[in-house]
Amino acid sequence: MTTSLSALRHRSTNRRGRRLTVVIGVALAVGAVVTAFPFIWMLATSVKPQSESLTYPPTLLPHTPTLQYFRTLFTELDFGQYLANTIIVVLIGGVGLLLMAMAGYAFAKFDFRGKQWMFFLVLATMMIPVQVTMIPTYLILNGMKLTNTLVGIALPTLVSGFSIFLFRQFMSTIPTEVLEAARIDGAGEIRTFLLIVMPLAKPILAVMAVLTFITGWNSFLWPLVIANDQHLYTLSVGLSLLNKELAVNPSLQMAASTVMVVPILIVFIVFQRYVIQGFALSGLK
Amino acid sequence: MMRKFKKAIVPVVVAGLAFALTACSGGTSADTAKDASGPLTVWVMGDSSKNFEKLVEPFVKSSGQKVDVVAIPWDSIDQKLTTAVASGSGPDVVQIGLTKLRSFADAGALLPLDGKIAAYPNLAASKFADGVGGKATAVNGKIVSVPWVADTRVLFTRTDILAASGIDSPPTTWDQLRADARTLTQRGPNKFGYYIPQWDNALPVEMTWDFGGDIVNSKGDIDFNTTAFHNAVDLYTGLYADKSVPTNADFDQTQGFVSGTVPMLVSGPYLAAGINAAAPQLAGKWTVSTLPAADKGTSLFGGSNLGIFTTSKHQNGSLKLLDFLSKSSTQLNWYTINGELPTVKAALNDSTFTSDPLVKVYTKQLADAKVLPIIPNWDGGVGTNLLKALNSIALTHSDPKSTLETFYQSTAGISAK
Amino acid sequence: MAVSNVLTTARTRRRTAATRARPGRGRLTPYLFIAPAMLLLLAFGVFPIVVAAAVSITDMNISGLADWHNVNFIGAANYVKLFADPDFWQALGNTAFFVIIGVPSVVLVSLGVALLLNRSGNWFFRSLRAFYFIPAITAIVAISLVWGYLYNTQFGLLNWVLSLVGVPPVQWLSDPVLAKFSVALVAIWRGTGLNIIIFLAALQGVPREYLEAASLDGAGEWRQIRSIVVPLLRFAIFFVTVTTIISWFQFFDEAFVLTNGGPLGATTSISIFLYHQGFQQSAFGYASAGSLILFVLIAVITVAQLRLRRSDVDY
Repeated sequence: MTTSLSALRHRSTNRRGRRLTVVIGVALAVGAVVTAFPFIWMLATSVKPQSESLTYPPTLLPHTPTLQYFRTLFTELDFGQYLANTIIVVLIGGVGLLLMAMAGYAFAKFDFRGKQWMFFLVLATMMIPVQVTMIPTYLILNGMKLTNTLVGIALPTLVSGFSIFLFRQFMSTIPTEVLEAARIDGAGEIRTFLLIVMPLAKPILAVMAVLTFITGWNSFLWPLVIANDQHLYTLSVGLSLLNKELAVNPSLQMAASTVMVVPILIVFIVFQRYVIQGFALSGLK
Repeated sequence: MMRKFKKAIVPVVVAGLAFALTACSGGTSADTAKDASGPLTVWVMGDSSKNFEKLVEPFVKSSGQKVDVVAIPWDSIDQKLTTAVASGSGPDVVQIGLTKLRSFADAGALLPLDGKIAAYPNLAASKFADGVGGKATAVNGKIVSVPWVADTRVLFTRTDILAASGIDSPPTTWDQLRADARTLTQRGPNKFGYYIPQWDNALPVEMTWDFGGDIVNSKGDIDFNTTAFHNAVDLYTGLYADKSVPTNADFDQTQGFVSGTVPMLVSGPYLAAGINAAAPQLAGKWTVSTLPAADKGTSLFGGSNLGIFTTSKHQNGSLKLLDFLSKSSTQLNWYTINGELPTVKAALNDSTFTSDPLVKVYTKQLADAKVLPIIPNWDGGVGTNLLKALNSIALTHSDPKSTLETFYQSTAGISAK
Repeated sequence: MAVSNVLTTARTRRRTAATRARPGRGRLTPYLFIAPAMLLLLAFGVFPIVVAAAVSITDMNISGLADWHNVNFIGAANYVKLFADPDFWQALGNTAFFVIIGVPSVVLVSLGVALLLNRSGNWFFRSLRAFYFIPAITAIVAISLVWGYLYNTQFGLLNWVLSLVGVPPVQWLSDPVLAKFSVALVAIWRGTGLNIIIFLAALQGVPREYLEAASLDGAGEWRQIRSIVVPLLRFAIFFVTVTTIISWFQFFDEAFVLTNGGPLGATTSISIFLYHQGFQQSAFGYASAGSLILFVLIAVITVAQLRLRRSDVDY
């Protein structure tokens, strides 16, 4: 009797459960459209001719779509150069990944003098407002003769306290026996790190790679300040050059914005499983 | 733990300051006798360097001197200047908005040109419009820049909308404008008569000039506490009080004019270009005219000059470039390419140039135009306080007497010499 | 099985490993590993704050930057001036408003959406994730353009929609009170993306067996979430809250691009105030003093949170 009662309860809960799932799905879909609406509007405007994007009342869909503004970006406005620069800055950021993984590993798996306050320092850097750092950082880069170089642009944000913290979180979940076994077998520390720790760290590396990509791709402040040469501007700076404030061409601005957002979106969609997995395995529970 | 921390800091700070010092002191002025090799670097304001590159092609070809043009976004010029000064390394030639001229000069960024321009007839002060040549844009009596492009403010009106409300020509006095604005506001809800940009710190100054006064007293100091300025404040806040002016800060003036929401406004030639681009179908339905007058019809002489950075290693080449850019033909060419008005007298009087009806109005206005006082940081300092005071009276109805008192105190005594 | 058990075992393992004698050559290893990253952090994180502290007791401005002889020591004068400056207090007040409104919104919305998205693992739910992430990956310059058009009083989409139902135009970005909410809304819209991902990840660590056992015992969905899921997410919630508070104290991007701190300072946060002082007024000494205050404020609040947290895991 008890069995059939609980079975009944289970079955009706299941039906209720499925209905609820559908309701939630619909609600989330509506939320998704609302959340992504500015993006949709941006896409639609990027293919409208200028007169259409300035009309009032505003229209959502273009009547005579055109790709001319995308063409203008790359033929008249140097956006091809900006795109190349942005990609290079992102790649340089990849080096930072390695450095941060090393630091995270050391903080997680070693005991050494000064570890406590050095890690506290790492966390403290997360609290420093960026406006404070601008001029002193520029002076340092200038002293190192790195102004007006892509390396100089990528350097200030190469390493971040947030990322080192996450790396350390993840690395502390790697069983120490594995490392000890390698050491007993005679492997040097660097070999252990490269051949054992890094492969195990693939999930967190995936997360960090995506996040680094996003930050590097959207970087605006440093390219603007450090590049004296327009040929070193990145996409964000190029987009802000279009803020003429005077001759308004929303279609052109939206086309440039689209060029900025779409690649990241594609990267995220492809890697989203690994991103979530990476966060999950980093012990954030 | 903390003590160890502090001990570790000291060498870092010393090293860092040493770095900074060497960086800063690297700016010794170059020997005028010989230029270094390599291209000239020119900073121009705007979204693209392509137009300027096109302009200097003849110069590059004839002199063999290569020119590297860098476009700087308008709202980033403060940052770029600061970092250039801090590091002691900047461009060779730089375009300087007139309101920023003093800041550049005070920072020691600009090479004094008094002795050097004698060798270049195109750079003589008499060649440029009176409002901006020679002493008009000198800092502390020294010439540190040469005029480049001019900007001014004129009245834009939608003649079709005015006609429909019974006004057959644009107003010629401020009183007329205020009355017309009231009429036009009555067209319906969400329609206005006139637009005051909340970021335009030159407009109240133009109004002051038009009431026969100035914001600089006889000693050369800033002084707003004058009858003329009071009249300007009354006009400015009065337009708001009449509800003839939109009160939101994000009003788009191009769209406002094109859609007819605001059929009158004061703006510069850039707006004319913008209207033509955004709404070519409006041709014939709008016009520009000189600024409304009270006692006078003085408008703004704005624009940019060109200067040479003190640390430039290409002084001779830079001077040659400045000379090229000050030729009448170059200036007229630039107007064709980029739409910015010339500052060279010969260009301004050129008959083909003034055959364009819009240009006729601009040049007429430039003949009765003044520059804003050359003080440090006009935009961020006095200009910001001016707008804050006026906007808080007009928009949030703060007490005029006390607001203006605070404003006078914050600006009195600033020297504009 | 229980989360805390796993972590305790790991801790014990780590401790025993550490007490084992290490070979001599391993001594330098950790230092070598952290050196590059630490050097960069010191150079671009710590050093600037130290420089800012030094500059804050001077009257450095643009001419001082060009020529160090123009710089004078003025002691605590900048700090005194700051505390007497009504604009500074307005900025502090605005920042407090943003933090109080923004942080709970971001945390609750992210958690809520993550819980909903976690409802099912099917392709539909998974594809919805990308939509919620879009705001987080859009460059701020692009965001300013899009939202600027949406919020525009005369020609914006929002007011047009409202006009269809007879509502007069709303001054989203010009009304001093409303502007704060408008700007905060964009920041909330932007801030939830990454946190949703973090919560989704944390939710994967909640064992299904607990929830199934609870539902067999008769606990409803909501009860399960309240009593099992949320407590297990404690660390993730804490992490998200701390990082969100830190970032909202430095509120800058949205207010800068949408209203530039206006109207009349209504959306000026401390960071914007510092930016204006530092770069537009070139009052570097004054701005540095303000940044020190901001930094100390953030540090104090963060440390307070760390202390308050009653945890079963220590790091």
